[in-house]
Amino acid sequence: MNSYRRVMNTLGGLPVDRPPVFAVLGAYGAGLTGCDLRTLYCDPAAYLAGQRAVQESYGFDLVLAPFDFSAISEAFGGETVWGGLQTPNVRRYPARTVNEALSLPLPAPSTAARLPVMIEATRGLARCYKEEVPVIAVLPGPGILPALLTGLEQWLETLLFEPEQAARLLDHSSPFLVGLANTLLEAGADCLVFTEGMASAEIAPRGLFADAILSHLTATFGAINGPKVVSSTGGRLNHTLDLIPGLPGVVGAIIGSKDDPAESRRLTPAGFNLIGNLDNLAFASASACEISRLALDRLSAHAPEGHFVLANSGGDLPQNTPAANLKALKESVASYKASPGGNT
Amino acid sequence: MAKSASGAACDCEEFYRQVLDAMINADRTKAAAIIERALDCGIPPARVIAEVLDPAIVQLGTLWEGESMSLAQNFIASKIAEDALLRCLPDHEKDRDRKGVAVIGNIEDDFHSLGRRTVGLFLNAAGWQVVDLGNDVPAEQFLEKAREVGARVIGVSAMMQTTAMNIRKLRDLIDGAGEQERIKLAVGGAVFNWRPELVTEVGGDGTTRNAVGADELFTCLQEQARIPERAL
Repeated sequence: MNSYRRVMNTLGGLPVDRPPVFAVLGAYGAGLTGCDLRTLYCDPAAYLAGQRAVQESYGFDLVLAPFDFSAISEAFGGETVWGGLQTPNVRRYPARTVNEALSLPLPAPSTAARLPVMIEATRGLARCYKEEVPVIAVLPGPGILPALLTGLEQWLETLLFEPEQAARLLDHSSPFLVGLANTLLEAGADCLVFTEGMASAEIAPRGLFADAILSHLTATFGAINGPKVVSSTGGRLNHTLDLIPGLPGVVGAIIGSKDDPAESRRLTPAGFNLIGNLDNLAFASASACEISRLALDRLSAHAPEGHFVLANSGGDLPQNTPAANLKALKESVASYKASPGGNT
Repeated sequence: MAKSASGAACDCEEFYRQVLDAMINADRTKAAAIIERALDCGIPPARVIAEVLDPAIVQLGTLWEGESMSLAQNFIASKIAEDALLRCLPDHEKDRDRKGVAVIGNIEDDFHSLGRRTVGLFLNAAGWQVVDLGNDVPAEQFLEKAREVGARVIGVSAMMQTTAMNIRKLRDLIDGAGEQERIKLAVGGAVFNWRPELVTEVGGDGTTRNAVGADELFTCLQEQARIPERAL
């Protein structure tokens, strides 16, 4: 069974040979190919080479299109900063206020700034791995996208104190997200992950998400073809998780490492897919044995129900994550399968 | 119990509960009205701060510790604290330096400013003169500014593990200059909450899990910082 079939069967509730496993290793590819991060995120061929190296080294069950939100901010007129060891970040946001953001023209995904890199890299990954390893592309959720235009502080302030103005920016930015998402699907992405920070308990209370954001997720997702997954961006998701499964085209959620697995299951209907539940920060500092223990613990909690992909919960794993830890993660699914309770 | 002009009870404990409720429910307007009512009752502004606002902030910190508060609620609380302080201390400028000077900023390569800005608001509300250097601040600039303004506490924020490690350079600079007893290093940011052992790894003298605790941390560190004998 190849990775594509394993993942599709898992999502569809069909039998699999073992649970799928994945780690977010976009920037990590640069370390394997000896390329600097600026080249990795500006040159589709360099990014593709990085993912191929990751795939050859570890053989995880998904490959990742460029997970680089600075490219989106840049497309709206922002400025990017290139750190030595981390994924690029936003140095200057495109707008200082929500009013300014509302006057920004929506960039065209196929031509604006580095968005074509995301699209071309996705196309390259799809050519390379079509129906062998699923290609996933990551986008900001509709509720957090405005933070890439104004910065989180300005966005939160508007959302909290000027809700009508916030709703206008959500409406204004949504068509851009729809356009980029559908372009990535056309380029060959098998599934889209939306990292919706506003759904996370660390960022916003449930009421704010339910009242000010949820309807925008419904409208935006309804206009995007293809399967979607909502991510907590690493934070806890259980406080809003029951609101996620009904969203258009959403087949699963990436829960946080601190979310209680049993509670996550209780909050979601049968057949809904759960992903993640492993702590990003553990990967660089813990031993391989510890990673293995954590992974088996999560598998024991989730895998018997099916509809589970073992993965880290947040963004890119640090580049200094030891190879042994990634191998331990990969091997955990085989160990689990071989254990007495490990039938899938 | 005193009564306001409208006959409402003037009980600091009750006002505290109402302000806390407004903070939890992210209702800035309601909080401002409660503070106004407290002052209207004739409660001295200093008591409103000490017995209404301060305990609400402390309780908010406890709720954050228990992971039942979000960044948005914390942000609103900082705005409420700022509003209340401005209302209670109209002649605020004269009190600004009563606690000392704090230099704060996000370390080099870190651009996640919300936590730092919230810390600045709380410190300011507590009476600190805050020198905010902004995002992406090189270690050298922190130390130069602290020397220039006579700050005995530098507060450095980092959201991610990779950027947090850049704080080590500031620690080495302070130690290399022999100023470790005179200038204390407060560190904070999301990554320190997830990995508390990182405080020691980067050489921090202390941390707080949230902006609400910043005043207590900075006060404690400032007391630990000694003025060199040659300066006496």
